[in-house]
Amino acid sequence: MNAGRAWIPLLLVLAATAGCGDSPDARQPLTKLSITGSSTMAPLIAAIGKRFERRHPGVRIDVQTGGSSRGVADTRSGLAHIGMVSRALRALEQRDLVGTPVARDGIGLIVHNTNPVGALTPRQVVALYTGGMTTWRPVSGKDASVVVVNKAEGRATLELFLKYFHLTNAEIRADVIIGDNEQGIKFVAGNPHAIGYVSNGAAEYALRHEVPIKRLPLTTASAPPAAGHPAPSPLARPLTLVTTRRPPALAQAFIAFAASSHVHDLVAAHYFVPLAA
Amino acid sequence: MALVLLVFFAGLLGHLLWHGAAGLSWELFTAPPRHAGRDGGIAPILVSTGLILGVCMVTALPFGLGTAVLLAEVTQRRSWTGEFVRRSLDTLAGVPSIVFGLFGNAFFCVTLGLGFSIMSGGLTLACMVLPILIRTAEEGLRAVPREYRLAAAALGFSHASTVCQLLLPAAVPALLAGFILGLGRAMAETAALIFTSGYVDRMPASLWDSGRALSIHIYDLSMHVPGGDGRAYASALVLIGLLLVINAGAMWAGRRLTAQWILVA
Repeated sequence: MNAGRAWIPLLLVLAATAGCGDSPDARQPLTKLSITGSSTMAPLIAAIGKRFERRHPGVRIDVQTGGSSRGVADTRSGLAHIGMVSRALRALEQRDLVGTPVARDGIGLIVHNTNPVGALTPRQVVALYTGGMTTWRPVSGKDASVVVVNKAEGRATLELFLKYFHLTNAEIRADVIIGDNEQGIKFVAGNPHAIGYVSNGAAEYALRHEVPIKRLPLTTASAPPAAGHPAPSPLARPLTLVTTRRPPALAQAFIAFAASSHVHDLVAAHYFVPLAA
Repeated sequence: MALVLLVFFAGLLGHLLWHGAAGLSWELFTAPPRHAGRDGGIAPILVSTGLILGVCMVTALPFGLGTAVLLAEVTQRRSWTGEFVRRSLDTLAGVPSIVFGLFGNAFFCVTLGLGFSIMSGGLTLACMVLPILIRTAEEGLRAVPREYRLAAAALGFSHASTVCQLLLPAAVPALLAGFILGLGRAMAETAALIFTSGYVDRMPASLWDSGRALSIHIYDLSMHVPGGDGRAYASALVLIGLLLVINAGAMWAGRRLTAQWILVA
C-alpha cells in the first residue's frame, strides 16, 4: 500500500501542470502548427509537414485526422490552425473560412477484376445505386446480385458522388457502408459482385500492386473512353487546406509551401494529382 | 470448444506471422517511420504507446484501488450508494470506446486545454479502463475468505490496517488480473485515442506532445496509406507480442508476490 500512497504527490503534480499544454491561441511566438481533418489528406500533409520542418528548424507540424467535417469544425473552434478538407468549401463555410487547394483527387468506380462489365453510363450507375438494377445481367454482366458499396455520411467522396449523380443519400440502396478508401478497395477485391467508388489515387496504387480490382470508366454519349486509358475523371475534388480569415503567419507560410511546386513529388508519391504550376 | 478457440488463436497468429514476419527487423524497433509509415520503423510509436499506457495506469490504479476498497470493504453490499456506484460502473464498462474518445476530446483536449497530447490520451484511457479495474479488484477483495477478517478483528487490527496489510496483499492475483485486462483493453484501443493523443508519428519530447499509439498506426497504415499493409502486419505482430509479454510478466509477478506474501505471513 506504500506504493499506492506514492502516487498521490504525482497526481497533484499532474493536476497542477494540467494547464500547461500548448493550445492554438497561446499568446507566444507560434512554433507548433496544429492541423486536423480529412483522413485522405493526412498522410500527404504529414509528409509535407516533415519537409517543412526540415526547412524551418524549431517549427513543428502536428497533423491529426478525423474527417473533413472535423477539419472545418476544429478550424472554427480554434483547436486547429489549419483544417484539411478533401472537397471545395461550401458557400456557407466560405463566409468565415478561407480555402487553398493543394492537390486534386479523382473518384472512380471500381469492381472486382473478374467482373465482365466494361463501362457504365451515369444512368446505369444511378440505377445500380438506387435499386433500379439489382443484378449485373442488364449491363451484360453475370446473373448475380449486385453488392452496392457506399461511403459513410460525412465523407467528402460521398458528397461528391451524390452531387455528380444528382442523388440524395436517402435514395441510395447500399448493401455495405464503408469509411475509408482502403476499406472500399479491400471489400471490392474480396467480393466478385461488388461495386464501389474510391479515390483514384488509392485505386491506382492497388492496381499497380496486383489487387484484384478494376476501374470502371464512365461513358457519356459525347466521349466514349479510349481503350486502356480511362478518361480523366469528371468526378474530381480539390484537396483543400482551410484557415480562419486571419491565420497566423506560420500557417500562411505552410499553406504557401504545401501549394508550391516544392512538394509536387510528395503529392505524386501519395497518388494524388499536383495542381498545375 | 476449447479446441476451437485454440485453432482460432493459432490461425490468427499464423496469419499475422505469415504476413508480418518479413517486416520484423532491428530497424523496425529503432527507426522512425518514413513515407507515411510504408518504410522505416515504429520507434516513436512504441515510445508514445508506452507513455500513454503509463499515464493511463498511473492515474487509473489509485482511483481504481480506492473505489474497489470503498465498494468491497466500506459500503454494505446492498447499500444504496454501493449499488449506485456499481450500476454506474457496469454501464460505463459497456460504453463504446469512441464515446470515451469524443468525451476525452471535449473535456481533456478542449476544456482543460491539454490539446492533442499523450496526457489527454492517457487520461481518456484511464476513464475507460477504470470500470474494469474497479470491478475485478472489488471481486478480488470480496473473494478473500471471511476468516481473514475475523482473525484480524480478533487480533485487534484497525480496519485500515486490515485492508492494507491483509486484504490487498491477499487479493493481489485478482488485482493483477484486473490490471492486465485494463492494460490489454487500453493497449488495443484506437477509437478513444484518435481524437485525444492523436496522429503525430514524431518521437514525443514530453507528455504534452501528440503521439501516435501502435493501434492507431496499424489502423492508419491499413486504411489510409496505400501500400502500408506490410508494415501494418509487422506492427500488429509487435502489438500481439507486447500483449503476450505483459500477460506472462504479470502472471509471473502475481505468483512471486503471492509467494512472498505467504512467506511473510
